[in-house]
This record gives sequence, structure tokens and C-alpha cells, in this order.
Amino acid sequence: MLLEMDSITKSYGSVTANHSVNFNLRKGEVHALIGENGAGKTTLMRILYGMERPTSGEIRINGKVVAFHDPTDAIGQNIGMVHQHFMLFPAFTIAENIVIGREPSKGLKFDRKTAIEGTLQLSQQYGMPVNPKQKVADCSLGMQQRVEILKVLYQGAEIIILDEPTGVLTPLEVKEFLISIKKLAETGKSFIIISHKLGEIMEVADRITVLRDGHITGTVNAADTNEEELSKMMVGRELVKLERRKVEYGEPVINVQSLSIKGAKAKPLLDDINFNVREGEIVGIAGISGNGQSELLQAISGLMPYDEGTITIQDVNVTGASVKQIRESGLAHIPEDRYLWGVSKDATVSDNGIMGHLESTSKYGILQGNSIKKLVSEWVQRYGIKTGSLSTKAQYLSGGNLQKLIVAREIAQQTPFLIAAEPTRGVDVGAMEIIHGELLKRRDEKAGILLVSSELTEIMKLSDRILVMYEGKIAGELDAAIATEEQISLLMAGGKAVG
Amino acid sequence: MDKMKSTLQSLLQPLIAIVAGLVIGAIAILVVDGNIIETYREMWNGAFGNMYFFTSTLARATPIILVGLGASLAFKAGFFNMGSEGQMVLGALTAAITALYVPGPAWFKAIAAIMAAMVVAGLWSALAGWLDSRFGMNLLITTLLLNYIASLFAGYMVAYPFKDSTTNSALSQTQMIDKTLWFPKLFSGMTLHIGFIIAIVSTIGLYLFIKYTKKGYQIRMLGGNPLFASYGGVNRGRLMVVSMLISGAFAGLAGASDVLGTSYRFLDGSLVSANYAWTGIMATLLASSNPIGTAIAAIFLAALQTGGMGMERNTDVPLEVSSIIQAVLILFITAKFTISFIKRKKAGAKDGSTN
Repeated sequence: MLLEMDSITKSYGSVTANHSVNFNLRKGEVHALIGENGAGKTTLMRILYGMERPTSGEIRINGKVVAFHDPTDAIGQNIGMVHQHFMLFPAFTIAENIVIGREPSKGLKFDRKTAIEGTLQLSQQYGMPVNPKQKVADCSLGMQQRVEILKVLYQGAEIIILDEPTGVLTPLEVKEFLISIKKLAETGKSFIIISHKLGEIMEVADRITVLRDGHITGTVNAADTNEEELSKMMVGRELVKLERRKVEYGEPVINVQSLSIKGAKAKPLLDDINFNVREGEIVGIAGISGNGQSELLQAISGLMPYDEGTITIQDVNVTGASVKQIRESGLAHIPEDRYLWGVSKDATVSDNGIMGHLESTSKYGILQGNSIKKLVSEWVQRYGIKTGSLSTKAQYLSGGNLQKLIVAREIAQQTPFLIAAEPTRGVDVGAMEIIHGELLKRRDEKAGILLVSSELTEIMKLSDRILVMYEGKIAGELDAAIATEEQISLLMAGGKAVG
Repeated sequence: MDKMKSTLQSLLQPLIAIVAGLVIGAIAILVVDGNIIETYREMWNGAFGNMYFFTSTLARATPIILVGLGASLAFKAGFFNMGSEGQMVLGALTAAITALYVPGPAWFKAIAAIMAAMVVAGLWSALAGWLDSRFGMNLLITTLLLNYIASLFAGYMVAYPFKDSTTNSALSQTQMIDKTLWFPKLFSGMTLHIGFIIAIVSTIGLYLFIKYTKKGYQIRMLGGNPLFASYGGVNRGRLMVVSMLISGAFAGLAGASDVLGTSYRFLDGSLVSANYAWTGIMATLLASSNPIGTAIAAIFLAALQTGGMGMERNTDVPLEVSSIIQAVLILFITAKFTISFIKRKKAGAKDGSTN
């Protein structure tokens, strides 16, 4: 056995993140580590990478007991880690980023030529093409991912830990990425992949270990299992299948006409956008992020001025209105970036909860403690938000729990129109199930929902109608009942609709 | 538990700063051949040793608390109001002129003087807020520059139109205001006046305002994450003008309290050289903009000054040791201030108002 982690326990005070966890890895294997947020996956990997010390238990590599004090020790044992957020210097070239920390030198001088040759040789050896002289700032996220992997390979890694590796990649990049992982495994490299995405895991992994609440719920061969079984192991119960009811669409709740934003560059940010969302309908906007979705949402919600166009919500013309006026006309908004727009991290759970609910929670300008408590604790219960108390600061909540709080807050507005942007980004299966259920419930209550997501599966699962955005335009409109993933992917990449 | 932890954490920073200040002060005392324990004891006695010294410290703290409260409100909303000094000077000038020239009974004159001081200082401060929200003029810079305009304007007013011509004094000052308008003392023979009570009531009032009102909530959210606030429908421009208005009004109240409670006239340069405004801002920064913490820090900083005088009277250690301790505090605060300023800049801020 290449790597054995034996009865690893890690406690932080009274909280135990890992309970006597056993985990092992064979040479040339891709071993996936899955579990909900807070299940202890990241803690386990931080221990393996020397960023945390286990409270008890031991780690053996090739049968020999090792103890890591910091990541340098782990790298010394040929362990490499690619973090969820890339750690690259955008202003430097690919070659410079790869050799960092082990730069070839000529006397006192950095030997750029050897660095470039080394990078080229590495990239050929592992079949991962890169241009060593290109600046990282000019690379796509998929290319940056590749650079990260080459960087750990350059450090001589035999065991490579990948933390949520496909979170930011486009569907096409994900495919390429999975292929190169399989290829690398064939050459004898071993991988541990932390992920939420069961489909990808099933495609790439040899074995899968599931963690729940710090305990191992099982290690299975990918060939002997399926996604349903894995979800069950992660959540600890059967997932409810979402049922789609045929609902009658009503009047449009929002109407967007010839909306354009010129932007500073030659290409417009938004170019003549026209669409509506009707009562009881979910309209999904698919697209690779950065094709105008953010601008569209900000324009609709009053956070960004636009050059042309008319927007009406519930027959009220809200063109150029303030955020407050637009919200009062009937908009609630789950923002795409929860930390940037959705919360104030230093404020408490209840403070974050009452934004937009001030009318119902204050009297004569004074906040009403009791009604706030009642309102927010009801959400905590209904959505299963894990928080110490209502006065816990938002920054101490996990991403998924914070997202549930935001979704609860916005759905509780009970508005006829709801924007749901990336409603389940980075949340676990259990939370995703709850959030999707609530969105569909709002739809059944005749609300119109505009869903924006970079997850195609989410768009396809929830939407009634799908719009695809490409370079600030709506590149195509499809009926969700008959649209295929291929059709959408093609439109997302700038191709023409077929059929 | 989280609550206690975060309270402790917010206390830790100023405590470290104070301890570091005292340690470096001790080194300075050693250098001038003083006895550390004896010196610090004299300092303590000078600030709190008997009723007279204690009330003097509180009297000195009064304008510092009021200015600090004003700054803390602006900082809470995320606006670096650096204009407290000018606002306080204009408030004091207005209070003195109103008290001297408005007709009516004494109580009416006194209240009119306080109100006028708060309104003028508030509008002066709101002007900077308006310039920022309307024209994008950097608040940090405008408030700093408006200080000069206010001080020089006040200096001109008392050097020419409102100069005290009843005495032969060459000082640029207004006439002394009528004794019937003077703030009553809290204890006979002591300098402490009811301005201190006003400051304490204001402290509690502002604490409750920020914590329990809708406006206070919006101010906290705007300061915490301006994008979150605007996403939630908070009108930043209007709230900016309002919070600057209130912030300036506190500085004006500080000026009025000095005129009616201590100086009994407006004397050019007296508020600036006493450094009330910057000490108030320092108190706020030490207390991370918490109103109650600001009041405590203001009393501490006032004690450092009155205690320093006591130390100088009774030991061979010079007053400058107090300044050294204060300088260390400034150093710590500047670091913190700079870091939070950079953080806000990074968070997508376009202007110096921190957001």
C-alpha cells in the first residue's frame, strides 16, 4: 500500500472533525473523497499535507511511519496538493510559476532557459501541453489548473491531492481534465480527489471513500456503485426525487426589452437582451461565466446602470429605478457571489437575515428583537442551517449554511419574481436538495424565477425554458423538455444552434 | 461563546497597544534615570489620585468623548471622517457667537448655542459627505482640507469682526459669555461640568441607536459590506450625508461644551492646540468604533495627559514620557487603520471614503 492513514482523529476543543478515520491509497489509483460540507474531508487532507497535526493516529507511506510538521515535510515525501483556489502568480509566466521554490540557477542568476526546457519536457512527458512563456494572467482557468498540476509534478509529487478541482472549469475543460488525470494515473501517479460532483467522480475514480460527520461511512469500488447510493451514503438517508409538475404559465412577471450596456471595451457587455419570465416559470440562463450574466443580473436588480433598454416588473416600469424601488416592485435576489453581495461577514446571522425584511421587523424605526428572532430561527429550523446561535458571526458559517441563510431570506420575501444566481455553488448534496426543493415550491406558488447557473445539470434539472448567453448576447433559446446537453454546450461555446 | 470570544478579541488589540505603550514608556523612564514604579504611580495619582485630579481627568475627557462618538458613527458606516477638528472649531465659534448675540433668557441662549453649534458643524461635515456622494470627491481628503478652511475662517472671525474689544488683550478671541450661561459644575471647586453628563448620555444613546434602530442597522451593514448594503436596497449616498451630519453634530457639541463649560469664550487655536479632535479620533480607533469603548478610551487618553502633568510635578521624569506612550498607541492604531483602509480599497472601493 502506497499510503495508509490509520485511525486518524482530529479534535478542535470539543469539536471532532475526524473520528478515527482510516484511509488508504494504492499506487496508480484515483481515490475520491466525498462528503457534505463539514464532513471532515478538508481536515483529513490538511493533515496529510502537513497543514494540521492529528490528535491521534498515524500516517504510513510505503509502510514507514511518517510525521509531518508542515507542508514542506509532506512535499519531501512526494505529496503534492492543488488547492481549490489556484495559488499562481498571474504576472509571471507558466514556466516561472512551475519552477517556483525550486528555481534552476546559474550562479546567482535565475536560469530561465532551463526552466522553460524543464517545463516543456514535463508537459510532453505527461501529455499536458502548455506554452511555458505565456503569462498566467492570460491563461484560461483550465490552463491554470494544468499549470497547478504540472507544478506539483515538478516538485516530484507521487501522491497528488486535488481539492474541488473542477469547480471553476467549463464543461469542455472538465472533460479534458478528467482524461489527463486518468492518463497520469496510468503512468503510476496516485490521486486523491475531493469533490461534490458525483458524475465526475463516477467517471474518473477507481475507489470512493465517503465521509459523514467525521466518520467514514464506507469505501467502495466505483464499478460497484452508483450516484444514488453515494448520495445516500453522504446524506445518511434517501434523497427525495424532485418531481416536475406541469404548471400553467401566467402573466409575465418581468419583461426585459433591448437591454444594452456598452462597457469600456470595444465589445458591449450586454447587447440587445430581450426576454421575459412568466408566473410559474423557471427560466434558466446557461453560459460560461463572464459572458454577461453578472451584468444582466446587476442591471435588473438596479446595481448597475445600463445604456439602453426597458425593464418592467409586474407591469411597473423600473427602468433606472433604485434597488429599493425595484425590490418593492417585486424582486428578490439570491446573488451569485454570496461573500461579495450576499452577506456582511462580520455581522451576525440575524443581522444578515433581516436585510430586506426591515419593514416587518421594525416599529417606529426600532428593531423588534422578538420578531427578528422568530423569523430567523424559523429559517434556521426549516433549512437546517447549522449555526452556533443567531448571534454567531456569518464568517463562522460554512459556505453551504450561509447559502441556505441567503436563500431563506430571499425566498421569504415572497415576491412574484426571484433571481436565483448560482443558488447551489459550492454547497453539498443535502443543501442542494433543500434549495432546489424551495425554488420549485416558489415556482408552484406561481412565482417567476430567473435561474443563472454555470452548472448545466442544475439548469437542465430545474428550468422550463433555457436561454444561453454568449458574449453579452442571448445566443439561443431552448425548451428545457427537449434540449440536450450537447445543444447547450455548443451554444455556450459560441456555436450555432442545430435542429 | 462566539460572542464572548469576539468581545475578548476586540478587547485584546487595544490592550496589547496599551501594554506596549507602557513598556516602551518604562524604557524611556529608565533612560532618563527615573524609577519606573514610582513614576507610573505618580502618573496614576496625577490622573485619579484624588477627587480633584479625577474630576479634572473627566473634564478633559468630555470633549474627547464627544468628538470620538462622532467619529465612531462615521467609521461604523465606513466613512473616514477626518474633519472632526474643523467641525469642532466651527461648532465652538458658533456656540460662542450665539451665546453672545442671540437675545432671550439665559436657558434659551444656552440651548440655542448648543443647537446652533451642532447644526453648523453637522452641515459642514455633511458638505463633505455630499461632495463625495454627488461628485465622487474623496471624503478622506475633503474632510482633512476642510479642517484648514474652518480653523482659518474661525481665526479670521475672532481676529476681526467678533474680536473681544472690551479688554486690551492682543489675543484673537470673542468676548467672555455671560456667567448665567455657564454650564453648572458637578462638584463645587472642581472643573467638571454637566458637559460630562451630556457626553455619557450621548455615549449610551449612540450605542443604543447603532444597535437597535433601523438606521443604525443600515449604518452597520454599510460599514461592514457596502455591496451587501446596496444589494439590500440601502441608499448609500443618502446614508452617507446623514451619518456625516450626525458625526459632525457630535463634534459641534464637543465644541459647544468646551465653550459653555470650560473656556467661556472662543479663543483662536485653543481647541486645536489641546488636540481634542485627534485624540477623539484616536479613542475611536482604539475602541474599534464601539461607542462605549470610545468613551473608556477617551478617559484613558485624557488620564495619560493629566497623569503626565502630575508625574512632571512630582518626579524628575519629563512630560514627554506621556507623549511617548501616546505615540506608541498612535503607531499601533495607524497600522490597524492602514490595514483596514487597504482592505476596503481592495474590496472594490473606488473612492477614499472606504467604499
